[in-house]
Amino acid sequence: MEKVLVIDPEICTGCRICEQVCSVVNENVVNPYRARIKVMRWETQGVVVPMACQQCDTPMCREVCPVNALEKNPDTGVVTVNYDRCIGCRMCVAACPFGLMMYDFVDKKVIKCEQCQGDPQCVRFCDAGALRFEDKQKNGSAARKKQGKKLKAALSGRDQP
Amino acid sequence: MALSRKIAYINLTTGEIRTETISKELRKQYIGGRGLDIYLLYRNTEKGVDPLGPGNAAIVSAGLLTGTLASASARTHVAAKSPLTGYVGSANIGGFFGPEMRLAGFDHLVITGKAEKPVYLYLTNDSIEIRPAEHLWGTDTRTVQQMIVDELGDDDVKTLCIGRAGENLVKYACIRTSIKNSAGRTGIGAVWGSKNLKAVAAKGTLDIKLHDPLMALEYNRKIIDQVTSAKVSKTMQKLGTPFIWGVTNSTGLVRTRNFQSNQLSDADDIEPESIEEDIVGTAGCFGCQVHCRGKYVIREGKYKGIYDEGPEYTSLGAFGAEVGCRSKTTVLTGNHLVNYYGLDNLETGSMMAWAMELFEKGILTREDTGGMDLTWGNDEAVIELIHKIANREGIGDILADAPLEAARRIGKDSLRYLVHVKGMSNLHSDERPTPALALNVAVSSRGSDHLRGRPAIDLYHLPEPFLRKVYSNPIPYDGPLTSDYRDYEGKPWQVLWQEHCYEAVDCLGICKYHTVFLGPNMPCFQEWPELIRVNTGLSFTPEEIWEVAERGYTLERLFNIREGLTRSEDTLSDRYFDEPVPEGLPVVRGRCIDREKFRLMLDEYYRLRGWDENGVPTPEKLKELGLDTI
Amino acid sequence: MSESGSNGVKDRTTGQFRCLYCFTRVKPPRGAETFTCENCGYAWRIWWFSPTEPRIRGPVWDQHEKLSREKMKKQGD
Ligand code: SF4
Ligand SMILES: [Zn+2]
Repeated sequence: MEKVLVIDPEICTGCRICEQVCSVVNENVVNPYRARIKVMRWETQGVVVPMACQQCDTPMCREVCPVNALEKNPDTGVVTVNYDRCIGCRMCVAACPFGLMMYDFVDKKVIKCEQCQGDPQCVRFCDAGALRFEDKQKNGSAARKKQGKKLKAALSGRDQP
Repeated sequence: MALSRKIAYINLTTGEIRTETISKELRKQYIGGRGLDIYLLYRNTEKGVDPLGPGNAAIVSAGLLTGTLASASARTHVAAKSPLTGYVGSANIGGFFGPEMRLAGFDHLVITGKAEKPVYLYLTNDSIEIRPAEHLWGTDTRTVQQMIVDELGDDDVKTLCIGRAGENLVKYACIRTSIKNSAGRTGIGAVWGSKNLKAVAAKGTLDIKLHDPLMALEYNRKIIDQVTSAKVSKTMQKLGTPFIWGVTNSTGLVRTRNFQSNQLSDADDIEPESIEEDIVGTAGCFGCQVHCRGKYVIREGKYKGIYDEGPEYTSLGAFGAEVGCRSKTTVLTGNHLVNYYGLDNLETGSMMAWAMELFEKGILTREDTGGMDLTWGNDEAVIELIHKIANREGIGDILADAPLEAARRIGKDSLRYLVHVKGMSNLHSDERPTPALALNVAVSSRGSDHLRGRPAIDLYHLPEPFLRKVYSNPIPYDGPLTSDYRDYEGKPWQVLWQEHCYEAVDCLGICKYHTVFLGPNMPCFQEWPELIRVNTGLSFTPEEIWEVAERGYTLERLFNIREGLTRSEDTLSDRYFDEPVPEGLPVVRGRCIDREKFRLMLDEYYRLRGWDENGVPTPEKLKELGLDTI
Repeated sequence: MSESGSNGVKDRTTGQFRCLYCFTRVKPPRGAETFTCENCGYAWRIWWFSPTEPRIRGPVWDQHEKLSREKMKKQGD
């Protein structure tokens, strides 16, 4: 079953523990610059947006890879890097429209979110609830419910037919 | 390893920079952060050094666990000899700078001398560059951070900076980072200003290696659960620190109209619940799940539409009760302006409240104020005064000085109305009914202050056996303890214990909301050894951490004594003893501090500390702590 | 937003708040805006953190002075 990382920037507090934890889980060190998730910040406006790979249906990174090092798992939908094949050309980095295929300058390899083998640790540590790991089908339901509530409130002000 | 970070010595006069590693020995003795801060300050300043002269040292320190997987490991400590008090200048700041400085390879900066022209420092991956800052001089604290990001072409750069208040040597200018994080107390911003140092920027990509990464991850999860399961954390996540103002004002523990009352009635508009209506979201510091920082947009008045963060509990006092204002717009605007200029909100509010009382008493007149009407609750005057102080205009020039200097300049009976300890104004809480909190303010090593040792849980009426459990960790305590915050018994130990607790978190680089400050069940001496071990590999027992805290605190005392402190300054303004609080609940009404009982508390406090009756650490104590040869 | 992540308040205190005057726990009716402590008679304005979590917002100001004076007098007897 495909699950996706659902991101809710409105709830995000910008604490960056997701970056911190991500780098520890994947690289054994704290180094937000080697994390697969990035919290983009517009501090002066109080806006923060966490961003991580969404495991595209048609991953541009895979499309562009000349050695088929990127594979999309048909069951989980997760796009993973096969480092045995990867030649480090970084074309996938160029191709990702979101900049979420990244290059780790320490270990000299491309990195991307691979959902921690089905248990994303960023989600586990985001107590604020800005990151959730949900069935792909469910995607969007939280936002629909939130906004739908407003409509419901507006409608309930009307006379019943 | 987190332990490989260096100390950098930067002489701004000569431009010379040298670095040094930190020995394990030194770590065992001082841990890091505030502990190494005072060690470096003590050793890098001469007795009697001019706080605003080139001989003063401006120190920036990351805690031992800053940036590691310890929850809320966001903190940075700054120090210098204080231009406000002439004693220890020391303040702590959250945000994201500390972890970034560590990623850049540094734990401590010792900045001395004076640059010929404005400069800023740029730290990146083991290198330090002194860069010109003439074009940044005169900017506010938000603009300068953005300009540095633009200039360096890197969005990830994090910056500590001063605003116009620091440039203008306002004696209580602060250091700032991000939108609202501030190292507020003791005027370190003025020290930076005197050195022509506008900012320290950092961006680093060096790994922070952990001793046992997976254990660190799991232990962090455990600590986070411990912190967030406390009711107080839940409250903080929603109301932020203003919730404290709500509880204390309801009781009658909020300094009102300078020191004339202890409760501001009918102030519904500035109650935390009302502030919350304007809060559009909350923000957290690095790795923190308490996220106590509110985000707001000013909704009314001249500053309508401006985004800022906070307000802290201190801003509700400073621009609310203390100056007799009841307007949310004034609180939110005042909070914005002190952030903008880089002023300590707490000192600013207290100085304004004092000026207003002087105005009421006729000691300051319209002639002195340049026609300003400083009557209580004059919202416009409060906002205008902030501008005047930051820019040192008119009466603002006097109020921008240290309280005691300002009192000298104003003369007459002005000193009588000043509420200060060691030359630093008290915050906006009223400790007259609460001897424990009063003692904390009186003995705090950086002058009147609550974040050095306030036993806040003393206000919770906790049962005695529970209190004993908290306060016997890790050193058994079998003296008196009571649940009544109006008592005098046992309070000296509570203050001392909290002093060590806060010193320890400041050494570790963790936020106080993640220890026994507002919640009695928070992580503390028992949890810290494992937290240190999994992250750094260093082994400490709870007792050893306690000893490090005692060493640091005692060294701050030695610094103060070197600079002339005596027992006579470990006290409160006369008003604490002479003017009973007129309002509040019947439990507090009519109470004030009893002089004799206060004296006994102080004696007891010294005795528990191993200090003589003059408040000087005994030679035996110094030997025990290894401070006899410092 | 904070309701989503954190663990709840301990059950035994749900729906209650602690009177700041007499320190007993009292349980106001759900949604009440003011409440007079059953133990000491002090009147509080209430704010609901969540539908089940009341907090003291502040004294009922127009009763606060009178109540305090009365109690002070009693204390004096
Ligand atoms: S952990 Fe959650 S709240 Fe913190 S920055 Fe990441 S997404 Fe935002
Ligand atoms: Zn009661």
